[in-house]
Amino acid sequence: MSDVTPTKTLDVCGKICPYPDMNTMTTLKKMEKGEVLEVLLDYPLSVERIPRNLKKQGHKLVEVEQLDGPNHRMLIEAHGLK
Amino acid sequence: MEAVLTGLFVGVLFGFVLQRGRFCMNSAFRDAILLKDNVLLKTVFAALLVELVGFALMDAVGAIAINPKPFWWGANLLGSFVFGIGMVLAGGCASGITYRTGEGMVGSMTAVLGLATAGYITAAGFLKPFKANLQAATTIPGADGKSLTLHGILGMNYATLAIILALVAVVAWFFIAKSKKDEYEADPGWGWLNTGILVGLVGILAFPLSAAAGRNYPLGITAGWINIVKVIFTGASFDWLGLMIIGIVVGGLVAALISKEFKFRMPKPIVLLQTFAGGVLMGFGAVTSGGCNIGHLLSGIPQLSLGSILAGVSIFLGAWAASYVMFVLPQKKD
Repeated sequence: MSDVTPTKTLDVCGKICPYPDMNTMTTLKKMEKGEVLEVLLDYPLSVERIPRNLKKQGHKLVEVEQLDGPNHRMLIEAHGLK
Repeated sequence: MEAVLTGLFVGVLFGFVLQRGRFCMNSAFRDAILLKDNVLLKTVFAALLVELVGFALMDAVGAIAINPKPFWWGANLLGSFVFGIGMVLAGGCASGITYRTGEGMVGSMTAVLGLATAGYITAAGFLKPFKANLQAATTIPGADGKSLTLHGILGMNYATLAIILALVAVVAWFFIAKSKKDEYEADPGWGWLNTGILVGLVGILAFPLSAAAGRNYPLGITAGWINIVKVIFTGASFDWLGLMIIGIVVGGLVAALISKEFKFRMPKPIVLLQTFAGGVLMGFGAVTSGGCNIGHLLSGIPQLSLGSILAGVSIFLGAWAASYVMFVLPQKKD
């Protein structure tokens, strides 16, 4: 686990497809460059899909950590293009 | 062993593959416009291609006799468009909400409830006349009086045309893939190609086993849920497809337990209402059109049924329209 302190936390646990992805992307869009978003999610498809779509928006995946079972914690560095 | 029991076996395999491969046509269609993510769409194409070859070979050697669905242009257009809208609201296609029921997603459970209820009402309840009239009024049969198919229109042998189409698709795919670099890094899951091939193989396995049980068709979802409604409320017995549905839920559950991904995921009550409403549109749409994304798209297109091809396009358009209204428009207002 990295020692990066997230600027903001987004909890999308329990949300149905595709809200975990949509909420993550719209939140990142509103953040400044270099700010770090912590996303808490439990939807397996999004755990695989968010990382592969971050790059297209210019954001950077810092790390994905499996907490327990389907629960994951993702740290993303915002690109800051508004 | 009774022939219907193989449905359970195929269902468990299908559910396992769906869960581990994250296969979902709702995501496939919606992500392509919403996230510009084509990974699941490629999985769908791979599955169709594998089935096209498999069905053609089995038909050529007489292991199966293909049974394409009829062309009801009005029912195919309307039903499948409504189905496409419904699956975006439900957060999953017919097979997606079925395997995710086993994964513990409560929103998918309420979607399934809507699908089964509306499916039953359209198949056997008060909407039956509407469905039957629309299908009858917009039927265009093939020259031989059977279902309208691509090979029928061209006057070709099914297996020959299927193999030609598969070869053309593989060559075209090779050139498209060569012309652009894959923008994705290594897929952390099974990978789109493996998942597509496995889904296709389950479809190939399903055809002769289902036919042996008296149902000459490969995979389907909606009619299976309707069978379960009939078992519960009218004392009917399980058929091959009903048991296959039970198998998908069990397979999804087992796969989720093994990978430690099982969890009761409870969205807000309003979302449960949304997925139920989506399921209702899906059930009505699938029965009106004569099939869902599995019955028409996955199982019908490789049999070159024109009705299934139209239904597939219509599901796609419905899903796009709903995605645009639900996800793209709100973002533009920001």
